[in-house]
Amino acid sequence: MLEIFTLTLLTLFAITSVVAAYLAIRERDLVKAVVYSAIQSAMYALIYYVLMAPDIVLVYIPVSVGLIPAVLLFVIKKTERYEGD
Amino acid sequence: MKKADVFVIASIIVFILSLAYITALGGLGPLPPINVRRIAINYLNLTYNTFTPYLTVFALESVTSIVWDFRGLDTLYETAVFYAAIIASIALYRGVYMDFKKNTEKTGLSPIAKTVTRISLILIPTVSASVALHGHLTPGGGFQAGSIATVVIVLSIIIFSRYFLPIHGLSKNKALLFRSIGLLGIAITSIALLLIAIVLGVNAYIFQNQAKIDAPLSFPSLVDNYILGGSLLFFNLFEFIAVAFGFTIVFLLLSISEEKVKKVTMDG
Repeated sequence: MLEIFTLTLLTLFAITSVVAAYLAIRERDLVKAVVYSAIQSAMYALIYYVLMAPDIVLVYIPVSVGLIPAVLLFVIKKTERYEGD
Repeated sequence: MKKADVFVIASIIVFILSLAYITALGGLGPLPPINVRRIAINYLNLTYNTFTPYLTVFALESVTSIVWDFRGLDTLYETAVFYAAIIASIALYRGVYMDFKKNTEKTGLSPIAKTVTRISLILIPTVSASVALHGHLTPGGGFQAGSIATVVIVLSIIIFSRYFLPIHGLSKNKALLFRSIGLLGIAITSIALLLIAIVLGVNAYIFQNQAKIDAPLSFPSLVDNYILGGSLLFFNLFEFIAVAFGFTIVFLLLSISEEKVKKVTMDG
């Protein structure tokens, strides 16, 4: 029972991350794309947590949800916000 | 979201699920064994084992033990790569100086955001310090703690302003100084026992933590019933300092205005 629950959780997180990744690629507003990318990373962090790798979770959450979006936002501020045709 | 997007997402999900099903059935080659491998059993046995005093680490956290003791040199070189990247970013921004603007009251986001951030400015460093100092007992370690602490830097740059940190005394050069202290600490910890052994005239290894059969020196592993994990505590602490201030340098440099950077780098 527990195994089925764990696997269902994993599947849900993985599918959400796929949806977020697709939306991040499709989005023309780069700031929104960064937010989608952060959602995808948060799902990955949850997957690591369910797979019992708390050390990775502790480094993955600040780096992928905090620092990488911050770097990307800084970089977007230096260029254009909307992707052209 | 358009209809086409929904269709594409649904087909991607179906593709991934069918691929997972095929993989689970063994269609893409043999599956890895699900039982614990021998090397993992050895790591788990030796992380804290008083019956094998010449092989154990005397720390409760096996991941940190592997990272800083069993495979310590690997981590040292990974750390070196990270610091080389930061040195490169400093070199790119050479000649660009950070400006000090005295009045930070009018810059930054709203007072609500600032008040909330002031609370987190205390909470987040506390969490990161506990992650660093307990890295040999519970999940965590120097890099994790350093990256958690950097979130404070990013928050204060975004919420207050880019002048907030330099005005409060954290300039790029000071961060560089602290980062160098962290690096120096890692270097000294890795050869500390070797230096003492040369003075005493006994045998020792680089990156030695606990005593080996032919090398009698070891870091303190148990002080007043508190498990220290030997050199792991020092490595975690110094890595925490080095990573936190290394990231701080990068974010301070990124926050400098683009016109100023262009003016300096384009004109030479």
